[in-house]
Amino acid sequence: MNGSIEEVFAKKKRLKIMTHVVAGYPDLETSQNLILAMAEAGADMIEVQIPFTDPLADGPTIMAANHKALQNGLTPKLCLKMIEEIRDEVKLPLLFMTYANLAYTLGLERFVSESAACGVSGLIIPDLPFDERGYDDYYFWLKECNLVGIQVLSAGLSLSRLKKILKRAEGFIYITLRVGVTGARNGMEIKSVDFIDRVKAYTDLPLAAGFGISSVEQITNLIGKVDMAVVGSHLINLFNSGGKENVQNFIKETNQAIEQVS
Amino acid sequence: MEQKRKKRSKTAGENRYFGDYGGRYVPEMLVPALEELSGAYFHYRESQEFQNELEHLRKNYAGRPTPLYFAENLTRLGRGCKIYLKLESLCQTGAHKINNALGQALLARKMGKTCLVAETGAGQHGLATAAVAARFGLKSRIFMGEVDIKRQYPNVFFMKTMGAEIVPVRDGTKTLKDAVNAALKYWIEHLEDTHYLLGSAVGPFPYPLMVRDFQSVIGREVKAQLRAYENRLPDVLVACVGGGSNSIGLFYPFLEDKNVKLYGVEAGGLGPGQGENARRLGENPRKGIVQGYKSYFILDDEGQVQPTHSISAGLDYAGLGPELAYLHDAGRICFDQVTDVEALTAFKTLCQTEGIIPALESAHAVAYALKIAVEFSGRQIMVVNISGRGDKDLFVAAKELDGEGWLRFLKEEANGERIN
Ligand SMILES: Cc1ncc(COP(=O)(O)O)c(C=O)c1O
Repeated sequence: MNGSIEEVFAKKKRLKIMTHVVAGYPDLETSQNLILAMAEAGADMIEVQIPFTDPLADGPTIMAANHKALQNGLTPKLCLKMIEEIRDEVKLPLLFMTYANLAYTLGLERFVSESAACGVSGLIIPDLPFDERGYDDYYFWLKECNLVGIQVLSAGLSLSRLKKILKRAEGFIYITLRVGVTGARNGMEIKSVDFIDRVKAYTDLPLAAGFGISSVEQITNLIGKVDMAVVGSHLINLFNSGGKENVQNFIKETNQAIEQVS
Repeated sequence: MEQKRKKRSKTAGENRYFGDYGGRYVPEMLVPALEELSGAYFHYRESQEFQNELEHLRKNYAGRPTPLYFAENLTRLGRGCKIYLKLESLCQTGAHKINNALGQALLARKMGKTCLVAETGAGQHGLATAAVAARFGLKSRIFMGEVDIKRQYPNVFFMKTMGAEIVPVRDGTKTLKDAVNAALKYWIEHLEDTHYLLGSAVGPFPYPLMVRDFQSVIGREVKAQLRAYENRLPDVLVACVGGGSNSIGLFYPFLEDKNVKLYGVEAGGLGPGQGENARRLGENPRKGIVQGYKSYFILDDEGQVQPTHSISAGLDYAGLGPELAYLHDAGRICFDQVTDVEALTAFKTLCQTEGIIPALESAHAVAYALKIAVEFSGRQIMVVNISGRGDKDLFVAAKELDGEGWLRFLKEEANGERIN
C-alpha cells in the first residue's frame, strides 16, 4: 500500500505537514484535485473530512465548508468513492476525519471496513471518546482492518485519563494548540505547549499539533516540539482567496522554511 | 424495583446512560469540563444547604409551588376525565425553564463561574438564564437562531433588558439545534470562567440527568397537590416534548407508579413530509449520536441531521432527550403528535374556556389532552402540563388568529401613526 504512517515519521524532514480537505468543498471534483495538488506540493499526510451537518469541533470556516459540501449533495459514499479513485495516485497516507453519527449510522463495522477498502490509513472521530459505548467495537474493527484510530487530545486532560488513552493510541497523537474549535488564529496557548511536554513524557508515539495555525512562522515554531503540523482552516481560506495554487504555494513555502530552520 | 432504582441513582456518577441512550459523546477537550460539572453536581445534590438554598429561591423567587388547577370548563369540553392543569406558566419568567436555570446557576456560582452561556429556542430558557444571571450578578450570553429571534421577539427584548447579550445564530437551520451547537462551541472556548446552562434534558452527561432532577419539582408538586385535592394518584399525564425537560420533569416522580399513563406530545408541524415537523418518534424513527448524546434524531439515510419545523420554537428541535428515548423503548411513555393547526386551535380554546394563555408549545399538550380525554371515565384524572405562558407567542398567534387587525396595528406602529 502507499506510504504508511510510520514511513512518514521515519522521514528525515524535521517537521511533517498534514493538510486538511473537506470532501466535496467546493465540489467533489475540486476537492479531489485539491488532494492531488497538496500531495504534489509536498504535504506529508492528508486528512479528508467527511462532511456532517453538525460538526461540533469545527469553527466557522470548516463548518461553512461542511454545509456547502452537503448542499452540493455530498454523501459519505461519494466521498469514499472519490478517495478510491485517486488512492493509487496519491503516494502518501490519507486519513478520514468525521463525526460519530455518520459512522454510527452506516454501522461501525461497515464504516471502518469500507474506509479501509478505499485505501485510507486511519480514522479520526473526535466525538467518539475511548470510554463511551461503541468505542470498543470501533477499536475492534480498526484492528481487524489494519487502520489506526487517531486520538485528538487537548490541555486540561487529567493524567489518569491521558494514561488510559495512550494505552489505546496508535499512529500518532494529535494535540490541539488551543482549547477551542478549529479555525485560523494567531499563536498557541501556553497551557497547550505545557501539555505537549506532558504527553511526550508518557508516549513514544509521534506528536502532531494543529488548531489555529495560520502562518509559516507558527509552523516553524513547532520544530523540535512536535513531529507534524496540521493545517486546516487556513488552507480553506487560502483556497477561497486564491484557489489551489495559493494552497500549493503555502505548502511549498512552509517546507522551504522548515528546511532552512533545520 | 424501587430499591434497585435508588441504588442506581447513587452510582449515577458512573453510569452515563439511560439504557443504551445518553452518554458523553464529545471531543476530548470537553471532557474535563463535563467531569468537573458532574463532580460538582453530585456533590451538591447531596448537600442539604444547597437544596435549602434552591428551595428558598423556588418559593420566593420563582413562585413555587405553581397551582394545580382543576379546569372545569376544559373538562366539560373534553367529555371524559377530569382535567387538571399544572400552571408552570405562572413561574417567574413564564415557563418551567426557570426551575432548571435556578438550579444550574446556583451550581455555577458554587463552581466559581462568572459567566453563563445558553441556547434558546422559544426564548423561555434564554429569559430564565438572563433572569438568574441578573439575580446572581453573572454575565449571560444567549445564542438564538435567527428564525427564532424573529418569531419570539418579546422574549428577545426582555432578555436584553435583563442585561443578556443575544448572539444571533445564522448557521444551518437557524433554530434551536444550531443555537445548541453555537453555545457548545462558545463554551469550549471559555471553559474556565463559563458555565453552559443547557436548557433541556439533552446533551452530554450529566445534563440530561441534572436537568431532569431540577425539573422533577413539577411532578413532585403534582403528586402532593393531587393527594391533597383528590387523595389519589392521577391516571394520565400529558406534556409536550421538545428536548424533553418539562415532560421528564412531570413524569419522573411517577415512573414507578405503573398505573399512571404517560403521554409525550411531539410537534406534528405542517404534516408528515420531510422537514415539515419535529417528530423524532414518527414513522421510521432513527437513532444517532448528535450534540454529545445517543438518542432518537431526525436524520436522513446517511445520518445527516434534517431540518425541522414547528409553529412553536421550543418544540422545533431534531433530538429527543435520552431518558425519554429509553422510556419510549421500555413502553413506559407513549408518544404522539399534534399539528400546528391543532395547537393553534387549542391555544384559542384554552384562552376562551379558562382564561389561560398557554405557550404554543404547551398548546400541543392541551390539544392532545382534548383528543384523548373521552377515552377515560369521569372519575379518572388527567394532569396536563402548561409548561409556559403564551405572551411570547403574540407575533405568531396574532398573525394567525387576528390577521388583519394585527397587521393594521403593526403597520400603524411602524409608521409612527399611533398616538401613544
Ligand atoms: C414553554 C415551553 N414549553 C416547552 C418547551 C420544550 O422544551 P422541553 O421539552 O425541554 O420542555 C419549551 C422550550 O423552549 C418552552 O419554552
